[in-house]
Amino acid sequence: MRQYAARLPGVVYAADNLYTCSQDTQRHIAEMIDRHRLNRVVVAACTPRTHEPLFQATLRAAGLNRSLFEMANIRDQCSWVHMNEPEAATEKAKDLVRMAVTKAAYLVPLAEQSLPVTGSALVIGGGVAGITAALTVADQGYECVLVERGKDLGGQALKLTADRNGQDPREKVAALIRQVEGHPRIRVLKRAEVSLISGYVGNFTSTVATDSGNQSVKHGVTVLATGGHPYCPGGRYLYGKSPRVMTQLELEARLASDDPLPPDAGQVVMIQCVGSRGEDLAYCSRVCCGQALKNAIRLKRARPDLGVVILYRDMRAYGFLEDDYQEARRMGVIFLRYSPERPPRVLEEEDRGGTLTVRAWDPLIGEDVEFRTDMLVLSVGVVPEDQRDLAGMLKVPVTEDGFLLEAHVKLRPVDLPVDGVYVCGLAHSPRSIDESIAQAQAAAARACRSLARGSIVPEPIVSSVDEEKCVGCGACERFCPYKAIRLHKEGKKCKARTITASCKGCGICASRCPTMAIDMGRFTCEGIMAQIHAFSEREETNGNQ
Amino acid sequence: MATNKYEPRILGFLCNWCCYTAADSAGVGRYQYPPNLRVIRIMCTGRLDPSFPLEALATGADGVFVGGCHPGECHYQDGNYHALVSAALVHEGMEMLGVRKERFLIDWASAAEGPHFVKIITDFTRQVTELGPLGKAEGRDAKRLRRRLSMAAAAARGRKVRTGLINAAREMMKGRDFSREGIAGLVRDKCGRSLETALGDRAGR
Repeated sequence: MRQYAARLPGVVYAADNLYTCSQDTQRHIAEMIDRHRLNRVVVAACTPRTHEPLFQATLRAAGLNRSLFEMANIRDQCSWVHMNEPEAATEKAKDLVRMAVTKAAYLVPLAEQSLPVTGSALVIGGGVAGITAALTVADQGYECVLVERGKDLGGQALKLTADRNGQDPREKVAALIRQVEGHPRIRVLKRAEVSLISGYVGNFTSTVATDSGNQSVKHGVTVLATGGHPYCPGGRYLYGKSPRVMTQLELEARLASDDPLPPDAGQVVMIQCVGSRGEDLAYCSRVCCGQALKNAIRLKRARPDLGVVILYRDMRAYGFLEDDYQEARRMGVIFLRYSPERPPRVLEEEDRGGTLTVRAWDPLIGEDVEFRTDMLVLSVGVVPEDQRDLAGMLKVPVTEDGFLLEAHVKLRPVDLPVDGVYVCGLAHSPRSIDESIAQAQAAAARACRSLARGSIVPEPIVSSVDEEKCVGCGACERFCPYKAIRLHKEGKKCKARTITASCKGCGICASRCPTMAIDMGRFTCEGIMAQIHAFSEREETNGNQ
Repeated sequence: MATNKYEPRILGFLCNWCCYTAADSAGVGRYQYPPNLRVIRIMCTGRLDPSFPLEALATGADGVFVGGCHPGECHYQDGNYHALVSAALVHEGMEMLGVRKERFLIDWASAAEGPHFVKIITDFTRQVTELGPLGKAEGRDAKRLRRRLSMAAAAARGRKVRTGLINAAREMMKGRDFSREGIAGLVRDKCGRSLETALGDRAGR
């Protein structure tokens, strides 16, 4: 690839590196820019979506305008998706590099602009994640508006009555709530919903519908902590039909009440993965195994003679939860595996006072096993709140399962792909309280990073008008979604002009302009045409490779 | 490559926010698809000049794919509707020239739909493979066809056709009918004549 690239027109230096994004290579790139007086840089590696800013920073440090950079995506869109066709993948990589190099020749330096940032945050959702995010932002000195749909803050965490160390998380959450509600820089809006949100990083405007009418909120960043709720098992395993069947959260409530267990109770059975992992929910909610272990231990501590059976598919006791698993086994909790093809069955026996019989196939002994049980506890997963309206307004992606999708799983885990919008808590994925808190602090830290700068320098991919060619028809003004291009009088004629601060770079104006008088920064007509022609040239250039 | 199997050459224009991201996530998930597609990243399918796909077909592509956000989910609100207008012109031109319309596809995959993107590309690659090199399924001389596509691309850059597109887009936005048939009808109505004139008698059918 390096040899191929070195022979392409305009290329004066080509190198391959083990890690092109490493610190060493950045230094090397800067040195080569200087030594060879390079005025364009092309990186063939992963995706510009995650790494372009890094390389652009290197260009800038070396004294080159960041718009003189182009990437060829030969990993995410080539080597990774053609793993079993190395020859074809190499041919494709050559094409992609040739197209990128050709386009690079047409790049021009673009002027940068700096826009002011509104120094406040909007946090949507008043559960533990939202509360923590709001506190973290406010404690760093920024104003914050926290919007909660319900009448109280606290969310799902208030349904948990003990953590794995035996402490009551509700007390800690109550303390957090008091802190938030008394915080001089946090404004809490309860029974409130964001009905409209527009703008971009640094300059969002939202409309919050409250009992006392609509409020307009200006904010520089947005944190989505819209949360989730437990999956409802419907009629599965006699849930809702027998009073003896409950979810883990309902068991938690009972365990904290005056009447935790029926006095004569001798047996409790738990079933894991109810509705999860390929049933109604495609995914594993990862908190349910830990919760079952915690509650099994609580039951055993309260009544050591009580029989506790956990019917599971795979016990996922990750991290320190392994200690709970060991502890539960030591205390005599019985773990019995079932397969999704042969799930446990539950029968209610009227003549025995409505006790339940759970029948499960034990793959180890190859037989059905029966338990008569006084309580049946269902471990259900986490379902995200419906956030499609919000996601639609903010243009952030939602996965098939309804969770918000971060910009990059590893590199930008709390950023959403839209600048200035962050995610934490159950809106992102099923997680425990401590994980939600850590993620909320991360999201708030990322949000404050945008606020602390005081200004943003958006990508200069904006439109520009060639006034010589412009006939003043106004099509651009009509179709621009951002009112970012306007006609103005130029002598007797009308000419279009871009309002760069408002332009987002979509390019509708350029593709609708009747005289092709409008062009887009970095995505010029000439540049794209050159890419198309470079694509078509393959025969001659790659032919004898 | 030692194989004699026909491998179509497909050029794709993917929007940064949805389809390009879906393509990246297909990579992260190691979903495999045929290696025929070459991608040009654009910020929005609204940037798709109607001449781009025609130029690609004119100069060497056997198929062109445009991928954006689902209708109603455009990162820039309605860029993908404008892309449908441009795409309708491309299809109109292809039809006039007797080029199989299945060689050009505009479709959607959200950022979270890596597997869906893979399916679209796999199906489209198969479709273009079945059509064969440009001219084969058409039963026409490829060189001549490409020359005429080049004329169509030039026409798509011309003021007459583009003014027609403005009118079509204006009616689309006014009527809020974003169906492909509706848009195709508008574009045929507003641009058909000028496109036909541009392709002219000179080229003949």
